[in-house]
Amino acid sequence: MRKSKDSPGRFFRIELLCAVLALTGSISVRGQSLHTNQFQPTAGRTAAPIDVTGYWVALITEDWRYRMLTPLKGDYYGVPLNLAAKKLADAWDPAKDEARGEQCKSYGAPAIMRVPGRIHISWANDDTLRVEMDNGQQTRLFHFGGWTPPVGSRSTWQGESIARWTWPGQTLRADTRGSLGLRAFTAGAIGAGEFGAGIPAAPPAPPTTGSLTVLTTHLRAGYLRKNGVPYSANAVVTEYYDLAKPPKGDQWLTVTTIVDDPEFLEAPFITSTHFRKQPDGGMWTPEACSSR
Amino acid sequence: MKTRWAWIAVVFLAITIPALAQVDFVGEWAPRFHEDQPERIPGPALGDYLGLPINDALRLRADSWDADLISMPERQCNPHPATYSFRGPANLRVSKEADPVTQDIVSYTIYGTFGRATRVIWMDGRPHPSASAAHTWAGFSTGKWEGGILTVETSHLKAGYLRRNGVIHSDLATMTEHFIRHADHLTIVTLVVDPVYLTEPFIRTTDFVMDLGQHESATPCDVAIEALRPNGAVPHHLPGANPFLTGFATGANLPQGAARGGAQTMYPEYRLHMNTAIPAPPVFATESLVGNAGENAPVEILPVRGNIYMLVAGGGNITLSLGPEGVLLVDTAVAALADNILAEIRKVTAKPIRYVLNTSADQDHTGGNAFFAKIGRPIGAGGAGSALFADIAETDPRAEIYAHLNVLDRMSDLPASAWPTITYFNDRKELFFNDEAVQILHLPSAHSDGDSIVFFRRSDVVSTGDIFDTVTYPIIDLAKGGSIQGEIDGLNRILDITIPAAQQEGGTMVIPGHGRLCDEADVVEYRDMVTILRDRILDMKSRGMTLDQVKVARPTRDYDGRYGATTGPWTTDAFVEAVYRSVPASK
Repeated sequence: MRKSKDSPGRFFRIELLCAVLALTGSISVRGQSLHTNQFQPTAGRTAAPIDVTGYWVALITEDWRYRMLTPLKGDYYGVPLNLAAKKLADAWDPAKDEARGEQCKSYGAPAIMRVPGRIHISWANDDTLRVEMDNGQQTRLFHFGGWTPPVGSRSTWQGESIARWTWPGQTLRADTRGSLGLRAFTAGAIGAGEFGAGIPAAPPAPPTTGSLTVLTTHLRAGYLRKNGVPYSANAVVTEYYDLAKPPKGDQWLTVTTIVDDPEFLEAPFITSTHFRKQPDGGMWTPEACSSR
Repeated sequence: MKTRWAWIAVVFLAITIPALAQVDFVGEWAPRFHEDQPERIPGPALGDYLGLPINDALRLRADSWDADLISMPERQCNPHPATYSFRGPANLRVSKEADPVTQDIVSYTIYGTFGRATRVIWMDGRPHPSASAAHTWAGFSTGKWEGGILTVETSHLKAGYLRRNGVIHSDLATMTEHFIRHADHLTIVTLVVDPVYLTEPFIRTTDFVMDLGQHESATPCDVAIEALRPNGAVPHHLPGANPFLTGFATGANLPQGAARGGAQTMYPEYRLHMNTAIPAPPVFATESLVGNAGENAPVEILPVRGNIYMLVAGGGNITLSLGPEGVLLVDTAVAALADNILAEIRKVTAKPIRYVLNTSADQDHTGGNAFFAKIGRPIGAGGAGSALFADIAETDPRAEIYAHLNVLDRMSDLPASAWPTITYFNDRKELFFNDEAVQILHLPSAHSDGDSIVFFRRSDVVSTGDIFDTVTYPIIDLAKGGSIQGEIDGLNRILDITIPAAQQEGGTMVIPGHGRLCDEADVVEYRDMVTILRDRILDMKSRGMTLDQVKVARPTRDYDGRYGATTGPWTTDAFVEAVYRSVPASK
């Protein structure tokens, strides 16, 4: 006897197929694209597993000569630039930037966390984290809660940033290739791997540890380093904010920044920047952007 | 139908919610050199101390560093220490070990990094070893997960690079790390604290990307003679005489003061006044910044290798050979600790004490002689002991005390019960005890004129007495026949005996007169320091400086935070004076 379309057996096969498809997606260590923003957006302040607010100072123990000084033209050691980008970097002329009123070209989101200075992180509202920088006087807004950039958003130095909290074992990565383009997050489970795949676990309620992941797009073309090392308007920035509390009671914030730029980078440009918590804004020293 | 599809959707979503799997970082990780590329790949320039929270002592020490040092046979195979290894060429293979019964994670192992100082991070809650235990390039690491971050604490590090241009942390540095994984990216936060050379914790963050295609091969190191230099020479620059320090700042268009580093250069505001900053007058510690904990250290026994144990007692070390024939002691510490020492020995053996060997006549090495000789028993009258005293052995059986003849001379004002009973006056004395050849080797005119080191050949352990001391500058007792040249010759003699295992680590182990358990690399570090200080004082003396002028100039100031003392039996001034008086008037 032929089974009806809605027979229990067919139902089971569909269910099984769904499960297999789901497993295939969830075992990826890299978090392969499922071409959907499947990771549920989290609320902002109320869901925060860590507190990143406060004043923080960057300690310049790395890339000193690229961050504290304006490097010489053509010094782009360590940046995976393609030939087109090198050509642009070699033609860097700060006077032209000044003439165009583009002194903030090296203070955009792909570079701002490397700028030596202090940052102030606070909640602008329950779903928007505000990050201000004294050096360059820039402000970034990290939007939680399913916010998406308004249609027709114009490109700016700081772009548009979507933020999500993640908790241990979870990761988000910008999908620069998927059909949803640069706005999509891809969710994955670190270490789900070959053995742990397919055993779902409930999200923690509420998580008390975790990270902040920020995806930034809609960028105005600028510089990764002050000496004209370029990124394009197509660049997308993925950032991970993590807290640690090592000896002497200092609180440290580590920001890992990954810049994907299909126009100027041969590979993602990865840096990590560390900040120490400050008791207050007493050392806050606003400075205007400078091309030199 | 609607309900059914809704149910399917629930199943789908439930399964695709990212699993809260165990965070892990096992796998192959390739470094990204997007930060500090010129420093990390070609190598840092001499005199580049940018962004390092170093004190004046380390600045001087780095200024004195000569890159030729790494061509020395004793240093060619040094790997990068854990404090620096992630910053150098470092492809990582991380693996984990699970308990076979519980499957709890016991440890992570990180293989790779320059020179292959393999890291083991213990996750099973074990404590860090005794402060007297040996130090390694990788150090001793314990870890725990704090949320999604693995936090690792590392101690027992050898002195090694913070930056591979002579910026070196001391062997008292410790490190905290945070391993943070996001997708296929790994960020490692490293914080180094060094009470001797850093004024603030030194933080760096280093990035890796998962690379399943990489292969970590072994990199065995074979020592070769790369340069001919006089025997005992240690490459270095005298203070103020290094011609290569300014080139970096000039080439990078930097103020010279900025390149000198210091904690102030880490902060953003330094950028605003670096061109006008006036260097503060240098400040140097006058004495060890970590104190001499050894003098109050509890009595404890550490296994070394084979028959050999190190007994830490009141700052003075005793070497024990334990075996079927009984107990042999190298030195007996101070008399007041004898009961405690015996109690500690009895925890590991009930065998009788057969021999005492003295490395010098000093009270902190011979104070327990009478006690241990009295409770000991020789191996038969006239056996391994002296037939001359066979009658005494039968009526008053005592352990034999071996020493160089000059030790007996120096102890003539002490009760006879503490005297060596068997002496030698040539360059060596030999024993075979506990199935092991034991060489007692005389090193003339070093710490004194009666120094011996003891080499346990089968166990491959050297007991050095006060020729090597990880706590203070070497005690050179001019009144008892010591000399700086003899001291340096003695250290080089120890290095002739020692053979390190792979990674210039382990192999022949070295028990110093005072301080922690060591190996060849530690002796090299000490030998280099003593030789450099000798050269500085010799240079000053040959330029006509008086002893007082030399003391004021403080030629030891870059090491005083580690070895110096202003009070106690052996001060820095006493060391400088001993060196000054025992070097010739001209080079």
